[in-house]
Amino acid sequence: MVKYFGLVGAGTMGAGIAQTAALSNCEVTVYDVNATVLRQALERIRADLKKGVEKGKLTQEQANEAFGRIHPRTRLADLGHCDVIIEAVIEDLRIKKDLFKHLEADTKPSTILATNTSSLSVTAIASAVRHQERVVGMHFFNPAHIMKLVEVVQGQQTSSETLLQTVELAKQMGKTPIVVKDSPGFVVNRVARPFYGEALRLLGENVATVEQIDRIVRVAGGFPMGPFELMDLIGIDVNFAVTQSMYEQYFGEPRYRPHPIQKRMVDSGAIGKKVGRGFYTYEEKK
Amino acid sequence: MGKKQKAAGRKQPAADKPQRTRVFVVGESPLVEEYAELCAAKGYQVFMKWNKAPNKLPTFSSKAIQRTNSLPAKTSIAIELTNGDREQKQNNLQMIDRTLPPTAPIVSSSVTISATEQTTWLKQKHRLVGVGALPSFTQHPLYEIAPTVYTPKETVEVVQRFFQSLGKEIEVVQDRVGMVLPRIVCQLVNEATFAVQEEVASPQDIDIAMKLGTNYPYGPIEWGNRIGFQHIYHVLRALQADLQEDRYRISPLLTALAQTGEWWKKT
Repeated sequence: MVKYFGLVGAGTMGAGIAQTAALSNCEVTVYDVNATVLRQALERIRADLKKGVEKGKLTQEQANEAFGRIHPRTRLADLGHCDVIIEAVIEDLRIKKDLFKHLEADTKPSTILATNTSSLSVTAIASAVRHQERVVGMHFFNPAHIMKLVEVVQGQQTSSETLLQTVELAKQMGKTPIVVKDSPGFVVNRVARPFYGEALRLLGENVATVEQIDRIVRVAGGFPMGPFELMDLIGIDVNFAVTQSMYEQYFGEPRYRPHPIQKRMVDSGAIGKKVGRGFYTYEEKK
Repeated sequence: MGKKQKAAGRKQPAADKPQRTRVFVVGESPLVEEYAELCAAKGYQVFMKWNKAPNKLPTFSSKAIQRTNSLPAKTSIAIELTNGDREQKQNNLQMIDRTLPPTAPIVSSSVTISATEQTTWLKQKHRLVGVGALPSFTQHPLYEIAPTVYTPKETVEVVQRFFQSLGKEIEVVQDRVGMVLPRIVCQLVNEATFAVQEEVASPQDIDIAMKLGTNYPYGPIEWGNRIGFQHIYHVLRALQADLQEDRYRISPLLTALAQTGEWWKKT
């Protein structure tokens, strides 16, 4: 049972993970270099907890207690007492490796160092530390306080003990963990590639329109969203970047090859719902 | 109107006419059974023929389903459901083309051979319309159909009305191997079997991941079992041949599953 939980990077994912850990009775130390980001994260957590109370998922007392277990800090050394530390900083290998080097220096030898990376190699991140056996991937899905799945990623040197403890931690946090070998895209980002890739090719080959493909996939296939609706929601730029990254990490495997339509959309700035136009137009955002 | 009411007094009302409409269904198991059940449930008189009868013969819930060796007279519509055996499909379609009245449409599964290519086997090319038929897809509320360059609007409308009478919505797509949903789903299953083969995660965990992480209606391995890996193999092989692209390379595990049935369950 993990008692002291550390979180590095108080962005959207970080805040969601911190909230989940606090609700599972952990004392959560949240670190961010930026005090404003930290404050915003706490506001977001407070608002989400309030929503939980309004929806009857939590009592006011549980929400207050959980919020009280979250301790914001701007000094990395304040994470020294933690049993587990999860980083949710920007997806940049150099930054993550540098962070892990510092974390190893500041923590006890038994502390599990976990990365929430969705696209980088856990093994490559772990290479920055001396005791690589305690580095593991813990990939949460957005919104982290709602989505049940956690991919627990075993790096090349991750020990069985670290892996087991991480699986138990995910369960403690009310999540459903699956154990995944460290490989590009892990399971979800990899297996989902054809959902977008084939849809883009069908469109490119004029087999059907955007609207038709989405309707077929939703109504006939039973998917909650069509591929183009989903790309608009995720961000066509984000989806394109993930596809490119997979393609590069697999050294040009044709199954992951991006499609020119994606690039054209990104070049034109029509990158999805967040800007009001993508495969569809969203009038309210204009 | 008056005449219709008079007729209704002696016979069944006009609205019930589909109960007497004859449908001929031929092809592979379990597609033939699925379509036969679907048509019979909506009041059609179904005559069905398997390319090869399944080892365990199914019990049908409707007496409106009859096995036959030849296409019966007065058949209004024929449905050909072979995805794996090209020669057998050609034989079936040519037999239907010879026997079925020229005005009656043929609906033919076109997930592995385009409807246009199938028309090259027929004399009455105008009456063939492709449909995205894979096992378990019969339950979907929406079907994809693909007319060919020869198909007149009237034939498409007849086929649309037929599927509407079965309670299905229709989306008319371009005639291409794999169509829309079969192509996407088969590639999802293929990718999942690549991941299983590489031991990225267990089949069970991959299914959990895709259902919880992306809200897919089925896990890809579960979907493979529902459709049948053999059928998925046929679609992917057809896509690879049609599009000449390496991205449709079939995982060796999926090939093994297609050849040996439920292989991975046993291990």
